[in-house]
Amino acid sequence: MTVLEINAISKSYGKIKALDAVSFSIPQGSVFGLLGPNGSGKTTMLSIILDVLQADKGGYKWFGQPPSYQHRKKIGSLLETPNLYHYLTAVQNLRITQSISGRGNEDDIHAVLEKVNLHERKNSRFSTYSLGMKQRLAIAAALLGDPAVLVLDEPTNGLDPVGIAEIRNLIKGLSDHGHTVIMASHLLDEVEKVCDHVAILKRGKLIASGAVESVLSAEDCIVVNAADQVLLEDCINGYPGLIRMSRSAEGIECYFAKGTSSAEQINRFCHEKGLVLSQLVSKKKRLEEKFFELTAE
Amino acid sequence: MISNIIKTEWLKLKHYKAFWVLLSVTAISYPGINGIAYYAFMDSIDAKSQSGQLVKMLLGNPFAFPQSFHTTAYLSSFFTFIPAIVVIMLITNEYLFKTHRQNIIDGWKKNNFIWGKFISVFLVTLIVTLFYLAVASIIGTLATKEMAGINIFEKANYIGLFSLQVFCQLSIAFLLGLLIRKAFIAYGIYIFYSFILENILSGFFRVKSKKWGVDYGHYLPFEISDRLIPLPPSIGKFNEADNKLAIAAIDSHVVYTLVLTLFVWLLSFYIFKKRDL
Repeated sequence: MTVLEINAISKSYGKIKALDAVSFSIPQGSVFGLLGPNGSGKTTMLSIILDVLQADKGGYKWFGQPPSYQHRKKIGSLLETPNLYHYLTAVQNLRITQSISGRGNEDDIHAVLEKVNLHERKNSRFSTYSLGMKQRLAIAAALLGDPAVLVLDEPTNGLDPVGIAEIRNLIKGLSDHGHTVIMASHLLDEVEKVCDHVAILKRGKLIASGAVESVLSAEDCIVVNAADQVLLEDCINGYPGLIRMSRSAEGIECYFAKGTSSAEQINRFCHEKGLVLSQLVSKKKRLEEKFFELTAE
Repeated sequence: MISNIIKTEWLKLKHYKAFWVLLSVTAISYPGINGIAYYAFMDSIDAKSQSGQLVKMLLGNPFAFPQSFHTTAYLSSFFTFIPAIVVIMLITNEYLFKTHRQNIIDGWKKNNFIWGKFISVFLVTLIVTLFYLAVASIIGTLATKEMAGINIFEKANYIGLFSLQVFCQLSIAFLLGLLIRKAFIAYGIYIFYSFILENILSGFFRVKSKKWGVDYGHYLPFEISDRLIPLPPSIGKFNEADNKLAIAAIDSHVVYTLVLTLFVWLLSFYIFKKRDL
């Protein structure tokens, strides 16, 4: 089942096209990463699906239905920065979240504050919190009442390494319990660790989307090395099915269409040409590399 | 739904110190201005001089019942700018903290948010009216030497007129805050317009009214509701003809004020609905 379906959404700010006919869908129970460089349209997209901004064209559906405020009540959200009342304490702020969304009760307020390690400061005013504590409180507000869907925009902003690891574990725990998490992040390493689906935006255009495995593995990559790299390059150049190759610190990276490479055949091919390989590794591409490749100018 | 909006707005206001401090300042300003005027008046009529006796003869006692409701409403209306600061703060703070977005994200419709502010402005109006009522009652009691034969509530219609005037002017303050979003710029424009620019425009239209036959100054945004509470007749004796005309026009200005207030809120709902947050 699809939790969110986005259909050809476009949004402009004057002459700047923030989103250009972007479409993708988010399966239920997935941890969905929305990636892109600064200004790529991630927050604009999240703002539109939370009804804070209006799309110029296109539309979206929550749970297969036209969006309504009733859907937003069921979604725990953190958008851009912690948007809370500076003069109120953590508990008082969460009471407002509870009152508007109808999610949770007084016990749940204390439970989420425990979960994000803010319980000891529950009666301190928001204005006295550090950036990391403010972020934790905003995450607590999103988690209140255990919503089935969470939208988190840069959830690890301002957190220390321990806090980042805690949020990562929290998201993994939510996923294990069947929650759907939609998160935008710059931290590709984090996204790779927790997300099972991604969409990559660049200047408002969707350039890739789907399961992480399928986005990362659009091509097979095999790294080879030999004592004479020049000879190896000449040899590999003649290998049937090779799309391209490039030198790296590990050796020569050879790219093939997905599912067409075979380390055994490459080894035999080189051996027949009189070359002995010192390295032969089937390499899985990391999200960071793929991201730079896709978003490169 | 309305009960949820009232509850949520109360959660926002209950622990907001600046809100209560500014309302306390309002609470002090009303007895302050009325008390000063009352004691100055009492001093002048108690004087044995000829001028003191002349004042007493001409003015009667504008602070005695039932005139007290009119006179204190007139004097208190000069201090509507203090609750206006409260109202501007209530909306611009939402923009400052971006909580207007969070309220929508958490599940309010955009209309719910503006209804919440409508209720807050109504609450401020109610509190301010209670302050005025307390001051009018206390000063009226102090100033009335003989209660027998007096209908205390003869001028009680000024309670409604005062609250309508306050609600209308606070609604304009709210609209300014909603449009401008920055507290100090909104205060600046409110103070500059209500105290300076509208008076200049009013004077301009008064001069031109001799030529045009109509004083358009009466229909300026603040003047519309200012004219709900004209100068009390005992003080207005110095220009009796104009004062009588102003009092006769109150009913028309009730209608104009209601129309203006309705327009201000409809515009607020429209702006918030159409604008990206």
